[in-house]
Amino acid sequence: MAVIEADNLRRTYSTTTGVIRRRRLAVEAVRGVSFQVEDGQLFGLLGPNGAGKTTTIKMLITLLLPTEGTARVLGYDVVDDSREVRKRIGYVFGGDRGLYERLPGLDNLKYFAELYGVPPREQKKRIEELLELVGLTGREKERVEGYSRGMRQRLHIARGLLHDPQVVFLDEPTIGVDPVGARELRQTIHTLVESGKTVLLTTHYMFEADALCDRIAVIAKGEIVAEGTPSDLKNRVRDGKVVEIEVYGIADATVQTLREIAGVRAVNVEEREQAQLLVVQTETDVELTHTLLGHLNGSNVGRIAAREPTLEDAYVALVSEA
Amino acid sequence: MIAIVPRLFWVGWKFHLKGLTMSSFFLLVSVIQPLIFATIAYYMYEAGAREGTLLYVALGAGLMGMWSSTLFGSGGAIQWQRWQGTLELLIGAPPPFIFTLLPLTLATASIGLYSIVATLLWGGLLFDVPLSIEHPFLFAVSLPATALALGLLGLVLASTFVLYRQASAFSNLLEYPVWLVSGLLIPISLLPGWVEPISWVLAPTWGVKAVRESALGGEPLFAIGMCLLLSAIYLVIGWFSMANFERLARKQATLSLT
Amino acid sequence: MTEVASPTSPRTLARVFFLGGLFSYRALFNWITPVMYVTTMLGSPLFQILFFAYLGRFAGLQDDTFFVVGNAIQVSAMAGIYGMTMTIANERQFGTLSPLLATPASRIALFLGRALPVIVNGLVVSAFGFAVGLLLLDFTLEWSAVPPLVVVVVVTVASCTALGMLLGSIGLRARDVFFASNLVYFLMLLVCGVNIPVETLPDWLEAIGRAVPLTHGIEAAREIAAGAPLGEVSDLVWTELGIGVAYAATAFLLFRLFEIEGRRRASLETF
Repeated sequence: MAVIEADNLRRTYSTTTGVIRRRRLAVEAVRGVSFQVEDGQLFGLLGPNGAGKTTTIKMLITLLLPTEGTARVLGYDVVDDSREVRKRIGYVFGGDRGLYERLPGLDNLKYFAELYGVPPREQKKRIEELLELVGLTGREKERVEGYSRGMRQRLHIARGLLHDPQVVFLDEPTIGVDPVGARELRQTIHTLVESGKTVLLTTHYMFEADALCDRIAVIAKGEIVAEGTPSDLKNRVRDGKVVEIEVYGIADATVQTLREIAGVRAVNVEEREQAQLLVVQTETDVELTHTLLGHLNGSNVGRIAAREPTLEDAYVALVSEA
Repeated sequence: MIAIVPRLFWVGWKFHLKGLTMSSFFLLVSVIQPLIFATIAYYMYEAGAREGTLLYVALGAGLMGMWSSTLFGSGGAIQWQRWQGTLELLIGAPPPFIFTLLPLTLATASIGLYSIVATLLWGGLLFDVPLSIEHPFLFAVSLPATALALGLLGLVLASTFVLYRQASAFSNLLEYPVWLVSGLLIPISLLPGWVEPISWVLAPTWGVKAVRESALGGEPLFAIGMCLLLSAIYLVIGWFSMANFERLARKQATLSLT
Repeated sequence: MTEVASPTSPRTLARVFFLGGLFSYRALFNWITPVMYVTTMLGSPLFQILFFAYLGRFAGLQDDTFFVVGNAIQVSAMAGIYGMTMTIANERQFGTLSPLLATPASRIALFLGRALPVIVNGLVVSAFGFAVGLLLLDFTLEWSAVPPLVVVVVVTVASCTALGMLLGSIGLRARDVFFASNLVYFLMLLVCGVNIPVETLPDWLEAIGRAVPLTHGIEAAREIAAGAPLGEVSDLVWTELGIGVAYAATAFLLFRLFEIEGRRRASLETF
């Protein structure tokens, strides 16, 4: 039995716009997401901002009711058996919020330990162990309001693990954390999986998903556009080429024209300081450099390079096609 | 399981009480505001040459503070939990939300005990208010009974506010009316007759009676009993509201400030 | 690139006036629906007036008028303080307006722009407060008293708005401006003669009361409600106006100081 099962999850938000006369708008954030996570896996939900990752994870951790579809964690339905689910999962959200600022980190942990039913006799030991694991030993008596972003993140992780849950959900765990801290966090996440836990992680960092996850589902605009192991995803771009062209000033209309050329799979524009970098993914067996340059006749062109595609390109292609 | 709940309450109450004590806002609401109102009332009494003990005023102002801290603490706390990002964490935890919320509302009412201490000290030091208590034991009982009743009323407030983001604006509106209707500084007999039945269902009405009659002489036991009765009624109301609201909040995605 | 307009051209002044007003309006009303406006802006004053009127009766001071006038004016003015404090303290965009604040003319335009929605709001709230007194308490008002009252309300709200600007300017530096503005609210409730005649307070409290906005405005309003024509209270009104101008000037001075210092240390945004 899969530890996490999502079956055609959908979630629509309705919001209001306007000041005097308010109108209702329905936004479908998650449009039929299905996947499964097996025991002991590190599963990654990868996608750009606004793709529906956080909404999906919130449905799985029982904080949001799906508009349609079902999900089960450890066999318990997230809607009907939410209490059973909550007892067995830990979840960690990114960001600065979610802690009682005016009180010390230690008090926060003690409170949540109590909420999650950690037996009183074990609380002290468990808290000490977790502080050690996340590297906050010695800072726990300070008020949270003085913690840095990275420290808060680590405190969140400690909090999420207090009751030794079997399944851990991490929503963008390394966002806003400095590179060294992020590396340590990833190591911690790896350790969790090694100790037998199942982890579902959302991220928009391609390399993070690639490095950590056993399986990845790429989500864009509320739908899963690809799923598989990191190798599977890399194979999708094994064939194909990438041409990078540096231009100084390019119109959107021109980019659109380039996209429509036969043999072009995707065009992505990256802003550099004075120029833009056009990253054009093409089929393997075509030679399009001249055609592309032809369309760019009006603009100033700098360096041109051709290279093999990377997983990053695969990801970009997937999410921009959506 | 049954053994867990009292401990959960105790830990939660202490935790939130500590957090509230560290808040400058609650310093304002539970200490400074009652002192200002007590001072205004003292001067008005002097100007009007009102006969009667100033202890009456001190206790009334103290209870005004207790109501304010409960109102803003309980109504406002839900919104505050949202902003802080902790509301999701509380709801996402295993215990039914009412078991995590109730210690919080009880803590907001308990903060109000600072108000009573503050107004008594202030009155004693600056206005020569005689601080003699008629029935000390009953006085000591009436204080937690009042805090309990107010805390549970706070639960009812919180359960109404938990869904709506603009709830804190309404909480501002309930300060003066409840002070008026509960007879905290002004006897209810001075108000139109139809007000009195409303006052009977409000915890502060019985709280101030209990506290005043044990301090100044009277029959506080009935008032203490009413505090406990109301506590039970509020608990039932809060219980039912909470279950409904939690489900609605998950449905309408209003648990976090997005 | 558009050319930079002259700081004193009518167009710039108009823009500063309206932009300033728009920010102020939004700060007051952005989070609000009409239902909520009614309940917070009008519901609260209703009960405050009733509370103090009844307290006055209980204390043996049989004079509803005293309390109606005092509280109606106080409530309408307080919205000014809160609104302004929030507008400025939240005002990151203010930085973009600061080059236009180079001249006294544009500063006045900005101030007036911000103060306008607050003043209109103040008139509505005080009118409502008087209506409450007329309908529910022993308060009467001659029609002839209304125009002078309007003048007094406008001046008082404006000068309290200036106090709000001062608090807001301090808020650019201090962390907890919310605490300060609430504290000011309570102190003004005590010392400005809202419910206690200023003369009956201890000397030092009376001195504070006379040095802040609201006090003279309330005194003038009370005399008008008792039948005095505007001419008779003119010195009170001028005093109130003068106090307002002084606070506004201090606010602008502080603002410029902080802004210059902030630019030097690049710190205007960082707290």
